Amino acid sequence: MKKLLVIDDEPIVRTSCQKILIPEGYEVKIAENGNEGLEILEKERFNLILLDLKMPGIDGVDVLKIIKERWPEIKVIILTGYSTVETAVTTLRMGAFNFIEKPFTPDKLLKSVEEAIGN
Amino acid sequence: MKEIFIHPERSLGVKLIIAIGLSMILVTFIFWFAILHKQKKDIYSITVRAGKSFVNFIKRRARHNMLALNREEIQSAIEDISIAEGVERIRIFDHRGKIYYSTDKVEIGNLVDKTSIACNACHIDLSKPSAIISEPKKWEIYKNLKNFTALKLIEPIYNESSCYTAACHVHKEDEKILGFVEAEISLAILDIAQFRQGLALTGYVFIFFIVISLLIGIILYKIVTSPINELVTGMKKVSEGDLDYRVAIMTKDEIGVLGNAFNSMAEDLKKAKEKLERWSKSLEEEVVKKTEEIRKTQQGLLQAEKLASLGRMAAGVAHEINNPLTGIVTFAHLLKKRFPPESPEAEDLNVIIEQADRCASIIKNLLTFARTTPSEKTIVNINDILSRTIHLVKNQERFFNIKFDINMDKSLLITHGNASQLQQIFLNMFINAADAMNERGTITVATKKKKEDNKTYIEVEFTDTGCGIKPEDMPKLFEPFFTTKPVDKGTGLGLSVSYGIIKNLGGDIKVKSKVGEGTSFFITLPLIEREQ
Repeated sequence: MKKLLVIDDEPIVRTSCQKILIPEGYEVKIAENGNEGLEILEKERFNLILLDLKMPGIDGVDVLKIIKERWPEIKVIILTGYSTVETAVTTLRMGAFNFIEKPFTPDKLLKSVEEAIGN
Repeated sequence: MKEIFIHPERSLGVKLIIAIGLSMILVTFIFWFAILHKQKKDIYSITVRAGKSFVNFIKRRARHNMLALNREEIQSAIEDISIAEGVERIRIFDHRGKIYYSTDKVEIGNLVDKTSIACNACHIDLSKPSAIISEPKKWEIYKNLKNFTALKLIEPIYNESSCYTAACHVHKEDEKILGFVEAEISLAILDIAQFRQGLALTGYVFIFFIVISLLIGIILYKIVTSPINELVTGMKKVSEGDLDYRVAIMTKDEIGVLGNAFNSMAEDLKKAKEKLERWSKSLEEEVVKKTEEIRKTQQGLLQAEKLASLGRMAAGVAHEINNPLTGIVTFAHLLKKRFPPESPEAEDLNVIIEQADRCASIIKNLLTFARTTPSEKTIVNINDILSRTIHLVKNQERFFNIKFDINMDKSLLITHGNASQLQQIFLNMFINAADAMNERGTITVATKKKKEDNKTYIEVEFTDTGCGIKPEDMPKLFEPFFTTKPVDKGTGLGLSVSYGIIKNLGGDIKVKSKVGEGTSFFITLPLIEREQ
């Protein structure tokens, strides 16, 4: 079973991801912020991380940087409510696999996840 | 001038008249005195001469009568002569002073007063008879008892051969002087005449003085006081601010020179004042102009700041709304899957999903327009971007019934900017125009060069034949979320974002509109001038 970690400060976004992905056979863990996400990553291995950019505490871009330093093999999809071409280009250059604009439909999320890790 | 009227002694003319008058009085007094003195001297000399011949006449009569031994005749002769006017006394006395004949009979036989001129005319000292003055003065002028001037004449009777050879033998041959004829003549008439003459002369001098004073006064008034008054009036006028006043002094003397100097001074003052006024006027104009510029700049800055902060707020709000929207979309989708596709529940959930999508689209637009990150600027050709945009819109269905009137400046119109941003702005202009005209009418597009404040700008005009903008909507035109379009047609962000971008590029957007006739938008951008 593929394991995913959702790092987002918004409970509704985390819940949405769980609701969409768990029925499709994914194991979904959640973290409320960057620090918590990194702590979980220290303990467990994941196939994919869904990462919010704008969070209190460590910013999504910094979290991405750390993930790519320590676990370069883990794929990361950026979830953003504030997509600009610039931030998209920046995160993709830093090693993000893809980025999804909020609000997203269940189909779009599933499609992106499948593109990244297959089912 | 007033002071001079109150104190006439301060007037130049009065001072001059007094000075000249005083010196004239002095001079005329000297003349008057000299004339009277000379006259008196001349009259006395004439009188003395007449007196001498008179006395000689008496002497000859006396001698004649003496030789004829007719002594009584001598007395009666002098008495007859003494009747003549002014003759006071005639007497004949011998060399010792004994009076023999006199018109005053009482003194006959007496001696004359030894201190009289009769003696001391010749004798220096009577105790020494030999001491004699060689050229004796034989007359004397004195004041008589009535205090009138009187003349006393002495004529010696010399011993002649006919005397000592006469039959009477009274006189010896060695006697030199036999006696004296003395006459006293009153000069009272002369005194009176002289007094009258002096009086008349004084009168003439007085009249002369008055006439001269008047003449000097008039001349002074004409050549000094009047022009000075004119100068004073001129100075007062000038000091009161009437710089056009010129004194009318035509003379070529010092006062004329002064008048000319005054006139040229007034002229210089006038020129200086006019120059100052021009300066102050242009300064005022400059101040007004600058104030207006500052006001406009401030207004612009305020507007830009307002838009920027509204933009930031909008972006923040939009971002926060995306998270709950994610929840709505996700859960609606998940719920929908539980109902058959054609069921009423599925249709209701579709409405929720559609409306959530609409929210998402509004927010996407908002975020796209409100983006504050500066975009990359390059040199862009406005005509090219505009042509591409026109091409794009012409192929859209909503522009099929719109006529395009295109009038582009053929010269190279380039500026610094972001091509896609500018295209977005132009697109927005066309969409607004089409909406305003209900997709029917004419859109006029024009580009041209425009000079403003020594800078050259590119001006892009978009004019529609639409409904126009109400005057009360004008101030809100560039505010975010302000729209007159139906709810599902516009977000009210197009113009506000366009305004922000154009301002950032150093340009401006201006609007002219008339309700029912149409609206013109003028976008100005700084022109990069290059040699072609």
